[in-house]
Amino acid sequence: MTDLSVRIGTLHLANPVLTASGTFGYGSEFADFMDLNRLGGLVTKTVTLEARPGNPPPRICETPAGMLNSIGLPNVGIDRFIAEKWPFLSTLNTPIIVNVAGRSIADFVAAVTALEAVPGIAAYELNYSCPNVKEGGLAFSSDARVAAEVTRQIRAVTRRPLIAKLTPNVTSISEIGRACEQAGADAVSAINTLVGMAIDIRSRKPRLASVTGGLSGPAIKPVALARVYELVRTLSIPVIGIGGIISAADALEFIIAGAAAVQIGTASFMHPGAAIEVVEGLEIWCRQEGITTLAELRGSLRL
Amino acid sequence: MTKSTLQVPVAAITAAAHQIVRMTLESPEWAAAAHAGHFVNVQIPQGSDLFWRRPFSLHRADPVRGTIDLLIAAAGRGSRILAGCNPGDVLDVIGLLGNTFPLDPQPREIIMVAGGIGIAPFDLLLQDAAHLPCRKSLFYGARSATALCHSPLWSEQDVQVHLATEDGSAGDPGLVIGPLRRYLEGQQDLTGCILYGCGPTPMLAALRALALELNIRGYVTVENLMACGFGACMGCPVELAEPRADGQRYLLACKDGPVFPIEEILLHD
Repeated sequence: MTDLSVRIGTLHLANPVLTASGTFGYGSEFADFMDLNRLGGLVTKTVTLEARPGNPPPRICETPAGMLNSIGLPNVGIDRFIAEKWPFLSTLNTPIIVNVAGRSIADFVAAVTALEAVPGIAAYELNYSCPNVKEGGLAFSSDARVAAEVTRQIRAVTRRPLIAKLTPNVTSISEIGRACEQAGADAVSAINTLVGMAIDIRSRKPRLASVTGGLSGPAIKPVALARVYELVRTLSIPVIGIGGIISAADALEFIIAGAAAVQIGTASFMHPGAAIEVVEGLEIWCRQEGITTLAELRGSLRL
Repeated sequence: MTKSTLQVPVAAITAAAHQIVRMTLESPEWAAAAHAGHFVNVQIPQGSDLFWRRPFSLHRADPVRGTIDLLIAAAGRGSRILAGCNPGDVLDVIGLLGNTFPLDPQPREIIMVAGGIGIAPFDLLLQDAAHLPCRKSLFYGARSATALCHSPLWSEQDVQVHLATEDGSAGDPGLVIGPLRRYLEGQQDLTGCILYGCGPTPMLAALRALALELNIRGYVTVENLMACGFGACMGCPVELAEPRADGQRYLLACKDGPVFPIEEILLHD
């Protein structure tokens, strides 16, 4: 029997497969399709201090081996998240990681402070990198000083594990990652979506109302893998790999590159059971290959 | 009923009209639970580089044979691949998704308004309404006579069918809203009449304006781009006519719909 368990700071995961924020709602959307307790962990859709309506349509566009989105972080706000979404999440036995975003540092800190009152949250993932929000958003992870400052201020209000989610839309992702590490982040997750665009040539209009959006899906996997590998070599905290993973083989690539865990994102839209299929695929592969712990695989890239 | 991903065999594919096929799928549990408005999200078979599934309204259900039918217009790459499937092929399908058209216990008249492939849910609506003795009318517009999908249920249930084609090759020339307006304006009393609309967004927008003008109740089912179909991607927002007190501006076509009260949402391209 393979031990797939992972430790990320004080966070203990039974297996390395998490759901990616913004692709898995608040869990209940997937309850019909799978046993949620078999996930290594569940990362919620982003929650912000105040409710947000999200962006006007069209919000999504199909692209070769992927999709563009500009959803705009619609959510009910922290108070209603706690009242309406948390009761279901709290019934699950899998660790729940709440993804949080803010328009300003103060907004971010206030959101995390409000969530501190909720027992049972396993960790926070800090969304420094949504490309689709006009204010704040990307600035948190495109400027190392800002990323460090927001991480430091959030670190001061919580002892729960902090995972900084990084954007690939920067010159040096490892510089931002290092700033988050030095400011007290327990892990980083990467990558968020790549800025992209598509045009309807007949109407000459952009396919997204916001003109540009975030590219996700298998199309971005090689880019994600290179960024994760770069982060693994630069940082001493765990790196959670995200980007185009649809199968156990994809997840294994990230783990061999050095990722501590992975997140399944866009694949869950097409195959709602995708995350569990990755867990099962990892179990089978490790058994076949005689691997007893993930540590044997992690960072085992042969150069 | 709970949603699931099933491997569903294609039982039959027949031509329904020019470039429109009727696909019969073997799915006893969905056949038993199906109502008008429900949709399924179909993966394009292996070998395609298309990433998203394609959503289709249920067209008919046969609980005895355990089959559901879809109407597929071969309009884009994904639908053309599906229309080219053969009996015995197995499709990966998520269902049943979405809500359904509400029916009054004693309506005066059920008035269905369909544009193009928007005819799809109305056979199932007639199946749902088979026990209702009320008058039933269908206003059905298409580009030309060859694009019309005729149904045996129309004569079985004495449906008054009003056709319109853009090229004038069948029924009234022009769009279907014209004959619908004349019909409604000729009625003495519209209380208890309920409109059910499915079709292109401009048609639904015109239907909404007419329903509000004449103060007739109605429901529309919308089509929208969607990546998942079950509320996770949030890519299919439909704008509320009146934002809610808490600031909510959008509903989701897949989860809150696809059927909405006609006055509740805005319809624009």
